[in-house]
Formats: sequence, structure tokens, C-alpha cells
Amino acid sequence: MNFEKIRDIIAEQTGKDAEEITMETSVKDDLEADSLDLFQIINDIEDEFDIKIEDVENIKTVGDVVKLVDELSQK
Amino acid sequence: MYADICQLLNIQYPIIQGAMAWISDSSLVSAVSNGGGLGVLATGHLDGEGCRAEIRRIRELTDKPFAVNIMLLSQFADDIAQVVCEEHVPIVTTGAGSPGKFMPAFKEAGIIVLPVAPSVAIAKRMEKDGADAVIAEGCESGGHVGKITTMCLVPQVVDALHIPVIAAGGIADGRGMAACRMLGASGYQIGTRFLVAKECTVHPNYKARVIKAKDIDTTTTGQSTGHPVRVIRNRLAREFEALEKRAASAEELDALGRGALRRAVKDGDMDYGSVMCGQIAGLVTKEQPAKEILEDLYQDYLRVMSETTK
Repeated sequence: MNFEKIRDIIAEQTGKDAEEITMETSVKDDLEADSLDLFQIINDIEDEFDIKIEDVENIKTVGDVVKLVDELSQK
Repeated sequence: MYADICQLLNIQYPIIQGAMAWISDSSLVSAVSNGGGLGVLATGHLDGEGCRAEIRRIRELTDKPFAVNIMLLSQFADDIAQVVCEEHVPIVTTGAGSPGKFMPAFKEAGIIVLPVAPSVAIAKRMEKDGADAVIAEGCESGGHVGKITTMCLVPQVVDALHIPVIAAGGIADGRGMAACRMLGASGYQIGTRFLVAKECTVHPNYKARVIKAKDIDTTTTGQSTGHPVRVIRNRLAREFEALEKRAASAEELDALGRGALRRAVKDGDMDYGSVMCGQIAGLVTKEQPAKEILEDLYQDYLRVMSETTK
């Protein structure tokens, strides 16, 4: 459930097709997102799920984002 | 939200001298603070103890408020953040990242935090993290740059935030300050103009090159590394451009850049040094004492404001 919402937010910001985005997709290499893009994505995800993601620097893949969202939205 | 930055920071003019690695040391910082602005110590080239020594030197030269900038990409960022708290530095600015993880320590030490933001999303995050004001820096600035111009970034950040916004990038006289005031800024950060202050210890070749610079003389290099910088177009910059054209790796680009800023600042190498400089350098035409720069800027700002709002 969370994965689909996150995938759609990422697709919108990066202009990639949602179908191309999987848990293994690399933010920097596959999505070609720089730090400004990444902060925009995180901002939108935080608003959507009403959470605060602290450790942005260690995010490497879409799977990392989903894991953080799952953990934080359970609280 | 507009706010009285002078009251927030306890300074005379709403003018902050932008941190410049290897360049804004205790000499420049104390001269700016003594002159009524906010001097900012650059630490991108320092380790913890180097930073501590500079802070103590600043305190020998001025009793006015000053700030320390933390370059968040530096390997010494953690140490510097700790030293800043230990030495009870009153104000901190940060660059090249978000200072979220240091905020609790800064707030506990009673430090006023002014992070630099290159986008609305990052500025919003900094406000959520407890920043006292945000420095919205457009890509006209020298050194590490974002993607958006000051003209476009400042009003969008002003709309998105409740805390005050300080404008940076492309300001070198009263017109630039007044323009940013119109965009909603409460304060103004200026780098290139202070580079040619008498008290700035940068190599004379560097000052001469900035004074000689025209509007079209700068370029940004290293977009593909994710941390581009604005520099004066010289032989080194053209080598960067050639490398990027043939899609060199970030490692190759970083290797070419290593030590280049130091070469420019300390050795005066204007051909193969990295001569970081803002687009507004064309307006910077003479070396002056920092106090005179501040007075000129503020008087010019008042004149422009009164003439254009008649």
C-alpha cells in the first residue's frame, strides 16, 4: 500500500514512469535525482503520511524510503 | 514574514558577510562585525581545533556578534559543530546540506541558527527543524550553488515560511538589497563584495581578478558531481567543461578540483586555481575597508528605497 503511494510521488517528481520504479531502484543512479529532487520527494512524502523523516542522507533506494515510511507511520 | 534581523542578531546593519572557505578568516570576520554587520567564519577548510583557534582570535579582535559557518559536506562537520557549542558561538550558518542532526545541540547551547537553503522544500524542512531564519541563496552566488535564481527563490521561500528570510546571491549594492526587500527578505547576505575588503587576506591577484571581472565572466562547473560551484572562467574551468563534455566520472572531476581553491586564494594562481566568485562581480570595482563597504551598502539602500517609493 505504502509502496504504491511512494512510487507515484517519486514518479511525479522525477518524470519517470511508475512501472519503472521498484524497491531496488536507486535514487541517484536510476532516477537521476540530485539532492534538491530528493528533498522535494521527502517533503511530499512527509506531507502525505504526516511523518518526519530524519535520516535523509542514508537513503539510497526506493526500498529505503518505503522502509522508513513503514516504520514511522506505525508510531 | 518580515522581521527585524538587526534585533534578532544584535547587529547594526541587516547585512551578513557570506562565508567563503579559505577566505573569510578571523581578519575579515572581525572587521565586518566591528563595522556593524555580521562577520561569518568559514570552516570548510578547517578541522575542529583550527576552528577553535580562529574563534578565539576573532574574540581578541571584536566583542561584537559573529557567526561560524558549518560546511556540512566537510569531514570535520561533526567536530566543528561540537566546538561551536563548546565555545558558545552566538550564531551559526550552515551550507551544503540540512543541519537537522545538530539542531538539538545548537538549541540547547542557545545558538541562533541560520541555515542556507537552495530550494523551498529544503527551507521548509529547516523551519520544521527549528531554524531561526533561513538564508535563501540563489545561483547567482559564488562557490557552491543551487539551481534557482535569487529573484525566483526568495519570494517562493518567503511565501512558504513563517520565519524570516535572508536573501543571498547577486547582491553587491543598495539596489540589490532594496530589490530583495521588495521580494520579502528581512536581511541580506553578501559574499563577493566583501572578498575585496581591505581586511580580507585573500591573495592580491584574486582581488584584482574580481575587480576586473565583467558580468559574463563566471560559469558553473561540476553539475554532474551534484555539487556545482560558480567560478571565474579560466583555464581550469575550461578543463572542467571539457571533462564534463566527455562525461567524466564524479571522481575524475573531484580530483581535478582538489586543492584548486587553495591555489587561487593562497598562491594567487588565476589560471589553474578555482577562482570562486558571484555573477555580481561586475559591480565590484574597488578595495575598501569593511566598515566603509557596510556604510556604503546601507546608505545606498536607504537612497534607493526613498527614491523609488516616492
